[in-house]
Amino acid sequence: MNVQAPTLEPAVRELSYAEAIRDALAVALETDDRVILMGEDIGIYGGAFQVTGDLVQRFGEDRVMDTPISELGGAGVAVGAALTGLRPIYEFQFSDFATLAMDQIVNQAAKLRFMLGGTVSVPLVMRFPAGSGTGAAAQHSQSLEAWFGHVPGLKVAQAATPHDAKGLLLAALDDPNPVMLFEHKLLYKMKGPVPEGHYTVPIGKANVCRPGRDVTIVATSIMVQRALAAAETLAGEDIEAEVIDLRTIRPMDRATVIESVARTSRLVVVYEGTTTLGIGAEVSAAIAESEAFDYLDAPIIRLGGAEVPIPYNPELEKAAVPQVPDILDAVRNLVRGVT
Amino acid sequence: MPKVDMDMSSGTIAAWHADEGAEVKAGDPLFDIETDKAAMEVESPASGRLHNILAGIGTEVAIGKPVAWIYAPGEAVGPPPESDDGGNTALPANDATAAVAVTPAPAAADHVARTADRQGKARATPRARRLARDHALDLSGIAGSGPRGRIAAADVEAQALETRTGGTVAHRPLTWQAEAGPLKVHRSGTGDGAPLFMIHGFAGDSATWQPVEPHLPAGHPVLKLDLPGHGKSPRRQIDSFRRLARSVVEAFDLEDIDQAHLVGHSLGAALALALADVRARRIASLTLIAPAGLGPEVDGAILTGIARASRRESLAPWLAQLTGGAQPPDEGFARAAMLARRDPALRAYQIDLADTLFPDSVQSFDLNPVLSRLEIPAKIIWGRSDRVFPWRQALRAPGRVALHLLQDIGHMPQSEAPEDIAALLSDMLRITDRSHAPV
Amino acid sequence: MLASPPANAPFAIRHHKPEALREALRKMVLIRQFEEGAEDCYVRGLIHGTMHLSIGQEASAVGLCMALTDDDKITSTHRGHGHCIAKGAEVGRMYAEFFGKETGYCGGRGGSMHIADVAKGNLGANGIVAGGIPIAVGAALSAKRLNPGSVVMSFFGDGAVNEGAFHEALNMASVWKLPVIFACENNHYGMSTSTERSSAQPRVAERAAAYAMPGITVDGNDFSAVTEAGHAAVERARAGEGPSLIESVTYRWRGHSKSDRNRYRSKEEIDSWVARDPISRFATLLGEHGIADADAVAAIERGATREITEAIEFAKTSPGPDPAALARDVYAPDSAPDDSAGVPA
Repeated sequence: MNVQAPTLEPAVRELSYAEAIRDALAVALETDDRVILMGEDIGIYGGAFQVTGDLVQRFGEDRVMDTPISELGGAGVAVGAALTGLRPIYEFQFSDFATLAMDQIVNQAAKLRFMLGGTVSVPLVMRFPAGSGTGAAAQHSQSLEAWFGHVPGLKVAQAATPHDAKGLLLAALDDPNPVMLFEHKLLYKMKGPVPEGHYTVPIGKANVCRPGRDVTIVATSIMVQRALAAAETLAGEDIEAEVIDLRTIRPMDRATVIESVARTSRLVVVYEGTTTLGIGAEVSAAIAESEAFDYLDAPIIRLGGAEVPIPYNPELEKAAVPQVPDILDAVRNLVRGVT
Repeated sequence: MPKVDMDMSSGTIAAWHADEGAEVKAGDPLFDIETDKAAMEVESPASGRLHNILAGIGTEVAIGKPVAWIYAPGEAVGPPPESDDGGNTALPANDATAAVAVTPAPAAADHVARTADRQGKARATPRARRLARDHALDLSGIAGSGPRGRIAAADVEAQALETRTGGTVAHRPLTWQAEAGPLKVHRSGTGDGAPLFMIHGFAGDSATWQPVEPHLPAGHPVLKLDLPGHGKSPRRQIDSFRRLARSVVEAFDLEDIDQAHLVGHSLGAALALALADVRARRIASLTLIAPAGLGPEVDGAILTGIARASRRESLAPWLAQLTGGAQPPDEGFARAAMLARRDPALRAYQIDLADTLFPDSVQSFDLNPVLSRLEIPAKIIWGRSDRVFPWRQALRAPGRVALHLLQDIGHMPQSEAPEDIAALLSDMLRITDRSHAPV
Repeated sequence: MLASPPANAPFAIRHHKPEALREALRKMVLIRQFEEGAEDCYVRGLIHGTMHLSIGQEASAVGLCMALTDDDKITSTHRGHGHCIAKGAEVGRMYAEFFGKETGYCGGRGGSMHIADVAKGNLGANGIVAGGIPIAVGAALSAKRLNPGSVVMSFFGDGAVNEGAFHEALNMASVWKLPVIFACENNHYGMSTSTERSSAQPRVAERAAAYAMPGITVDGNDFSAVTEAGHAAVERARAGEGPSLIESVTYRWRGHSKSDRNRYRSKEEIDSWVARDPISRFATLLGEHGIADADAVAAIERGATREITEAIEFAKTSPGPDPAALARDVYAPDSAPDDSAGVPA
């Protein structure tokens, strides 16, 4: 009898980044009764960026809970729920509003397990629409991920593609620790292949998106896309840039970066958060402290956000964060020994 | 005009790397000079604008005399400042103006030059430093192509490639290619007297004899042999002392000399002895200075240290071991010696040769039997402070061989006490001339 | 022995069995002696850091917990020793925590301010004023979804009611009708600042109206009154009718913390509250109703003293943490079983 082999590969569709997250949320809500979504206007409104979309119709208000505009209280409720058996996924309307909830994230979620001697855990997922480029100005455009990356007890990840957005979210749900997911608002409409069903992208593992020999570009979030665009242009100039998507900034996959820089001898770190005391500093330090130091053949370049609040004017807004030409200039100068 | 060679009193400008009025940076190549030994690049001692080039290409300039002037930015350019006749360049009152390549460098130039490297440390990337360590290259000798003269890996690799891995590390495969052609014999002096045929020692070259030559009596041509793979002689495959001796005999035969006074230093002395053994009838006299071949002991560390040294910094300590200790060779000497040793293939060859001749720090050849049967006039000159070969090896020589033991002299009597050596050689020339004179 | 308490007897006497009441007295005495013992260890230099004593507030802690079972949870405050013992913790492991020992409830990682006994439903004291209130609401959300009928009681002080977290949490709990009891122990001072000076409405229970929930003020040193208020609120929560706010008015005899120089209170004021000692009052009440005579109370006190002595000895002789385990428990292991609810069984 001729038995047809079952299809092992899940179907892959083109989804937007926002749809990929919604797909992940739906998978989570379907497969785990403990999962609840919380956030401001995530129900009938569908979320400020339409990420939750129609989930409230599909899963009901008990699972997709509109919260009052109470970031501190809402975050605290999520922490308490996670502490006692639920798997809340809390959406901040804008990552900037996390400032209102810092106590619950930093003092409570991150530390409860430790303070209580390992007798509890806080399996909490928080989502933060972040980044500039939407004209929302200084209080709705920040990239604060490095703040949270500084806190032991938290994990912090940033997806750069629809595929990773879904996979990282499902991995975060599997993680027994509080995981902060920073989503760049400009990526929400980006399309890409997303497998159906459940899959995970490991937290704490960087992704070498493009191999290269001349320079390593470590990037996060939307800067991965910009770095890839720059790398494509540079390839035409016989500069082969290796692009690494850090994916997770805490814990940081130092090994992948170190291995790469030891090969290419040059490093550019591209990230949207304010340059100073940010991801670039941490990646640079990782190199400086590692055996890759001996292989550095040029200074490390940090391409981060300008030391300003994000401005409203579109030209100023663009100038405040790294763009593709900035990456091109940095890499060219580095490889040609000008820097 | 900087002093770059031990015996240099003047240098000839071979090339300028910057034009009149050009912007120059401290550390950039400025001009080339030629001495009778080597061509050498001189770096700009300061940053500024180059004016008043006094010495054109081909001009010979006494050391310490100005060859051009570098002006600080904004400084008025006038006629070249006066300098006195004493060879010391007079600095203008405004000491931001730096005379080029004065030895020692003027303070102002020194100050500017330090912007390129801090406290004498080369500006280099970590990778360049690592590569330089791996290749045993000294960063201070490598030109950096990066901003502010920063040395990148590519600069080190270029240098390493140029030196074909340098042959400076024992476990590194050494590369040299065997070459064809006769050994080089340098000639100087004229006259009807029997010529001197002089053979230098291991890792040396004909320049070994430079200090002695001016003190030699006139009337005798001087023929100075470069051994295979030394000086300007081709590198030949040498697998034994016998083979090396045979190549010396061939070179001697090519000269078609009727009678020669043989002079050898160290390994060259052993070779002179071997040559005298087979060409006794054509040898008027034999002078062995600190000869090899008279005993098993040898300080192999010194020989291989010299052979391996790729920079003057690594060479200088070994050179210091050669002399009697009263006065170690100065920086200029080390620099000059290193210039002669700049070719890594030469060093690679000499490392192999040392291993062949002095395996495990033992002299592989014993010439005492030769010395015993020798009938021509012969003398041995040895420094009592020789650290390469112990002078007591001379005590095995037969009675008819004259022995001159020099107090406080090391392994380099010809440069440590050139006048004494010249006097002893003159005696030899006189005696043997008389002995061969028609009655 | 009385067959049944008279109808006009206080709530506690009518509602609880004599054994339960004697056990409540024992816990109050134990709390008092535990804190006195801790204070003694502190002055002897055996405990570092600081601690916040609740001596004088024992009726509030024990009375409010009377209606709770081990299935119910509490969140506590920096002044949380009483809540912890009231919820059933062992004093030996509590002392061990104070001593920074591995056998402490938090393995010596939390100390007095984070004392917890998760197995008994105490989700922990909290060093952030009002920090535990939203967490209690979240726990109540879990209770409603995962363990219907169970409730959460959130203890906090009068200082916490001026924190935003208090208002946000009470509002959400009421919007979602969650089974949570907000238990404010009003001891009149947020550190040195009195409720009169800090709150436009010093009567905390009045704030319940803003969140459409019952609010009641009780004499926190009257065990029966506290118990009655707690009982009503817990019953309401179990019935799915939503949260309540209880204001238990009491007084801490000691300063805010061990560094308090007590400049903001008069000796007369403190003495007047010492005269209203909740333990003596409760012991008297039990004596009046023939539940515990003077001998029984003395026996309870002796028993507590023995227990405290043994507990301190246990703490002293327990091993300290291994410095190599410094980073243990910062993160839960990735390989945590899939069914790992927050609280281990």
